[in-house]
Amino acid sequence: MKLGFLVDLSRCIGCMACAVACKAENDVPLHSWRLRVKYIDQGEFPDVKRHFVPLRCNHCENAPCERICPVSALHYLPNGIVNVDHERCIGCASCMMACPYNAIYLDPITNSADKCTFCAHRIEVGMMPACVVACPTHANIFGDLDDPESEISKYLKNHKDVMVRKPELNTKPKHFYVRGSTVALDPLASERPEGFTLFTEVKYLEHIGGH
Amino acid sequence: MIGAEVTFDVPIPKVIWGWLVSTNMWAKSIATGSFLLGLYFIKRYPQQDNFFRKWLPILGLIFIGITLLVTVLDLHHMFRFWKIFLHPHFTSAVTLGAWVVSGFVIVLLIAFWSWATGKKQLFDRIMIPGFVLAFFSTIYTAGIMGEATAREVWVFPAEMVSMLLSALIAGSSAYLLLDAIYNNVLQEQVRRELGYILFGSSGLMAAMFIGELMFAKMHSEFSHEVIKVLAFGEVAPFFWLGMLFTFIVPMVLVGIANEYRNYRYAWIASLSALIGLWLIKHAWLIAPQSLPLS
Ligand code: SF4
Ligand code: SF4
Repeated sequence: MKLGFLVDLSRCIGCMACAVACKAENDVPLHSWRLRVKYIDQGEFPDVKRHFVPLRCNHCENAPCERICPVSALHYLPNGIVNVDHERCIGCASCMMACPYNAIYLDPITNSADKCTFCAHRIEVGMMPACVVACPTHANIFGDLDDPESEISKYLKNHKDVMVRKPELNTKPKHFYVRGSTVALDPLASERPEGFTLFTEVKYLEHIGGH
Repeated sequence: MIGAEVTFDVPIPKVIWGWLVSTNMWAKSIATGSFLLGLYFIKRYPQQDNFFRKWLPILGLIFIGITLLVTVLDLHHMFRFWKIFLHPHFTSAVTLGAWVVSGFVIVLLIAFWSWATGKKQLFDRIMIPGFVLAFFSTIYTAGIMGEATAREVWVFPAEMVSMLLSALIAGSSAYLLLDAIYNNVLQEQVRRELGYILFGSSGLMAAMFIGELMFAKMHSEFSHEVIKVLAFGEVAPFFWLGMLFTFIVPMVLVGIANEYRNYRYAWIASLSALIGLWLIKHAWLIAPQSLPLS
């Protein structure tokens, strides 16, 4: 079994239901996230477009975070999930330096690294990840990549525009996007000016090394 | 349709590894550099070996102590540090580094004991393993950087050479500074050789930095952006002051000292190199953390 995720960006309406469900399901503290939805506005009025991009851990097959973790707190599960052992973690933040997708955070309460686990605890008892259940447009498609009959395998087979983030890094993400674009998936393809926008304040966190 | 801008996003982390990590790399350069050069001078100038047999373990223990202290302080679970020995994951350069540095500390303790008791043979017997451990203690951080796939500008083989050159700069500067503090206890020939090592390693390292400034942009867009942050962004003052203090000032002062056999200002070169090394390492550490990864 090799679990994977696919987001059909043409279906995403940026409602954040997935992000809220994830926060609630996994008790994700303030200023931390396992799944976020980024809005990117492109173009000049009237020729404009807004991209909604859900971003979570890719559960890479060749995961730099797993490789660098000095105590194997990050480890592969047999179903392909890259999982975290909070009790094992020594809080060195090496994984945060290694993950090219900014998918890991140091939980300010447990002081351990944490990230999306594809809701491993739910999968174990036969449930879907919380974000999949919450999505009103079924933009999140989750399933077994090894099973040719699974919805995700069929989706991947039937779409020619499948993308992953930063394929050049050879991390082999198991998280795919269809109907995506470079602007949506490459963080350097858009500006990220700090300050208040139409919706909220876009900013960076202060140095997180403090204890 | 032109231009794109993020209009909604969560706050994302910027600097994850800060000054504690810069200090770690800086102190480690002094510890390993003074060890490697100390070995060389003990072998090459046996008549002066007392100086090096004394200061090699003292400098080593002080600065490797600082390295270990800041490493542990930077852990969010510092009292779980032992897990790196009980649950080691050997694909990680962090683990390899912890093991190698532990071995290096044992060698330094033996070197200290050897000096304190006057039993020279004790240290002589462990010089080869000491050399290997000091060498790998110097370069393992380049391995960590190389594994930090996210920060492409670090993932260059040149990083390893740059770590070795930092060790040579730091080691030669530390000995020159001690020589000045103790009113030129070293023979002139030894002092000149230390000066040449400082001059040569600064020159080579400056060439590498200039090379990366010019060519890193060909590696990837990310590296290109990082170089812009280094040269013109928020860490630019650290970077350019680092270039001045680590390379230009030491090369000029040590060059003059060796050329005119007047070593009065050589200590300024050493001090400048040691300060500059911290600045430039800090800039190099922070710049790739300034860009969004997702
Ligand atoms: S996306 Fe990041 S955190 Fe997730 S498996 Fe890949 S490297 Fe690890
Ligand atoms: S912070 Fe924890 S999970 Fe991340 S590399 Fe360090 S020990 Fe491993």
